[in-house]
Amino acid sequence: MGKPKISSDWMAGCAGCHMSLLDMDERLAKVVELADIRSTPITDFKVPDVSGVDVGVLEGGINNTANEEVALRMRSRCKILVALGDCAVFGGVPAMRNFFTIEESLRRAYVETESTDGSGKIPDDSELCVPTKVRSLQEVVPVDVFVPGCPPDADTIFYVLSELAQGRIPDMKGDKLDWH
Amino acid sequence: MVTVTIDGKQIEVPEGITVLRAAQSAGINIPTLCDHPHLTPYGGCRLCLVEVEGARTLQPSCTLPVNNNMVVKTNTQKVLDARKFVLTLIFSERNHFCPYCQVSGGDCELQNAAYHENMTHWPLTPNWQPFAMDASHPYIILENNRCILCRRCVRACGELIGNYTLGFEERGAQSLLVADTGVPLGESTCISCGSCVQVCPTGALIDRWSAYRGHDEQAEQTQTICVGCSVGCGIDVFTRDNNLLRIDGNWDAPVNEGIICEIGRFKPMAEKCDRIATPMVRKNGSLKATTWNEALKVVSAELKTLKGKSDGVAAVISTRQPIEAMVNFKALFADALGNSLVTTTEEGLFTESASKLADSLGSAFEGKLTDMLEADGFMVLGTDLVHDHQVAGFFIKRVLGNGPRLLVLDSDENSLNPLANKVLQNKKGTSEDALTALSAAVVKLGLAKKASTIKASDLDSAASKTGLKSEDYLDAAFVIAGAQKPVILYEKGVSPAVLKEFAQLVGASLISVKGKANSLAAAQLGLEKPAKVGAQKALVVALGDDELSQKMIKDFEKIPFKVVIASSASPLTAMADVVLPAANWLEQEGHYLSLDGRLQKANRSLTPAAEVRPTAEILLAMAESAGVKLNSDWSEELEQRVALTEIVK
Repeated sequence: MGKPKISSDWMAGCAGCHMSLLDMDERLAKVVELADIRSTPITDFKVPDVSGVDVGVLEGGINNTANEEVALRMRSRCKILVALGDCAVFGGVPAMRNFFTIEESLRRAYVETESTDGSGKIPDDSELCVPTKVRSLQEVVPVDVFVPGCPPDADTIFYVLSELAQGRIPDMKGDKLDWH
Repeated sequence: MVTVTIDGKQIEVPEGITVLRAAQSAGINIPTLCDHPHLTPYGGCRLCLVEVEGARTLQPSCTLPVNNNMVVKTNTQKVLDARKFVLTLIFSERNHFCPYCQVSGGDCELQNAAYHENMTHWPLTPNWQPFAMDASHPYIILENNRCILCRRCVRACGELIGNYTLGFEERGAQSLLVADTGVPLGESTCISCGSCVQVCPTGALIDRWSAYRGHDEQAEQTQTICVGCSVGCGIDVFTRDNNLLRIDGNWDAPVNEGIICEIGRFKPMAEKCDRIATPMVRKNGSLKATTWNEALKVVSAELKTLKGKSDGVAAVISTRQPIEAMVNFKALFADALGNSLVTTTEEGLFTESASKLADSLGSAFEGKLTDMLEADGFMVLGTDLVHDHQVAGFFIKRVLGNGPRLLVLDSDENSLNPLANKVLQNKKGTSEDALTALSAAVVKLGLAKKASTIKASDLDSAASKTGLKSEDYLDAAFVIAGAQKPVILYEKGVSPAVLKEFAQLVGASLISVKGKANSLAAAQLGLEKPAKVGAQKALVVALGDDELSQKMIKDFEKIPFKVVIASSASPLTAMADVVLPAANWLEQEGHYLSLDGRLQKANRSLTPAAEVRPTAEILLAMAESAGVKLNSDWSEELEQRVALTEIVK
């Protein structure tokens, strides 16, 4: 059978959830004993196996077409999809952009920004991804496990990964949710 | 009584109570959001839905009255699913993104409700409609994006305070909490009592000062008494690392039951003052920092030379000081040193006449604040309940819409006039004639509850002396004498003896609002003399955190040796010879006698800076330094004379 395979990736997130994952410190060695970590944005292999993995973990929301591709790719290549962190669970901080139109946001970022001299141009190369409304992961693909937190603390992430590594769906309640 | 079965538990409850209250009385917890024990039920949030046997749909337990033999289930799968759905709808409605909110992490009832149901997320796309944030108010921020439309604030503003500033405009998804007809909160009729902030379950209504400075869990909470006026409201003071976070009304306090006013809630945060950190003594023309020993030596040297001289020291204490300080003050300056001018900053202005009346009657004659809670008619005589003693004003304002009526008698424009059923603005100096006219009117209408020496025929002449018409007095008489349980509130400038007669005539409870926090205690200790400066050689002002009037400061200037015990710098400390740093009201404990005789203990919630001390201790040290021993047992002191209102411990 072999060890369960885990892959992670990130989209419109700050990488904080992956940093929190690393915060489990030496317990990472235990997780690696139980599971085969195939690819993450912070290791050498970045892309989940084409042949598929058992658990996919996604950090960050979806705020452009490139993120959509990452989300769809992970969903199609994993059996259980985990939304890690508030951005993936409901949009998080980047989702505040939704209170403005995309034009307003692009103008603020490229033209009105303090670090340009007023002759800023909004990039429109056809090879660039297109910004979209910021969405949570479940608005784009079906999600199996939600791990809220900004970031979820290392104990919670260790619990989630070790449960999944042993073939169980983690039971998110009590202090796994109320982590303050 | 009816029998109700909730989750298999059979209980007996009074008829007419709601299923929610019945469950709570049996220790069964049904989650709620819009419900609040001090507000009438609204039934808007739908979180309290329960299964009732025989009912077609789930029922909101907060508004459903119990029926005999009702069978209720509060945690079936259907109910749990409904709760998750209700919370999903609430969360997806507005900007309920917890990470950016300062109540997230324990102080948000919405978040806590979701955690209670073990919700990790909500499965509906949020409605991305931005709502306005109103930051126009000096103390309160209204963030509509976090509002769950529970209307607790609207109910509090109306039912608890009677101000009716908050309301809702538009409907459905557009529903918006607004002030008045949709004006910025800072430009509205809001009186800054902060009750809305205290009842808001989310971070929609927050106070600027305490936001982001810590969760309730991280703060220390002290139950104490507000010293802002003589009402004596119970308050909860939240502090963190010896800093004041915020002040809430204590829901369990018998006096105010959770409500307080701007003066108790927000003024302590807004006040900026120059605290005095060490004792100071004037040397070569200017005040220099020194030690307590040095400062007290200078004071006692002067006091010792004046011992036995009745006009040696002019001694004045603030009525914001606790009984412990007042007792030490009197024992030292009046009893031990034999001075005659020993009084308070109020000079007995608010209590002297009433105290004398009690002395002559040999008994108390005033009523209690609780009388206001059952009153069906009010008369307010020459006192401003909108700016001072505000909570007493709230007791009146919040019932005026439901039957009780208000009569105002004042020779000046009174701030309650817009709400009064009848206003009598009599000529200055004619208050006794006004009461005669009013009594005559009562007699004329046959509404007198006891025999009176004033006759109906006295009406016209008395009325004309006050510059008002007889018809005005007849209208007014209906308001006050037509009530079964009227309450009369007065301040000063009217003879209490005349008022007492009038109160008996109409069967009213008579209450004087007095002055500051310990006004009545000062009266009981006989500290009611006018501060008329004669040939005194020394002045001692135990000011604490109070302010002295310009007139008094001017009068005191000529006294050669001045000792000021104060918390902050002021023109008074600037002209002192010795300044002793005093704790403010939060930094000391002590007892207070409220306006209706309730003896309450104020507890300390902050530690003062190293050299700052409570006034009671300073006076004790001053006495010791002057070779005077003070008795610390003050329990008998308050009973030295008949109290004008019964003292309740």
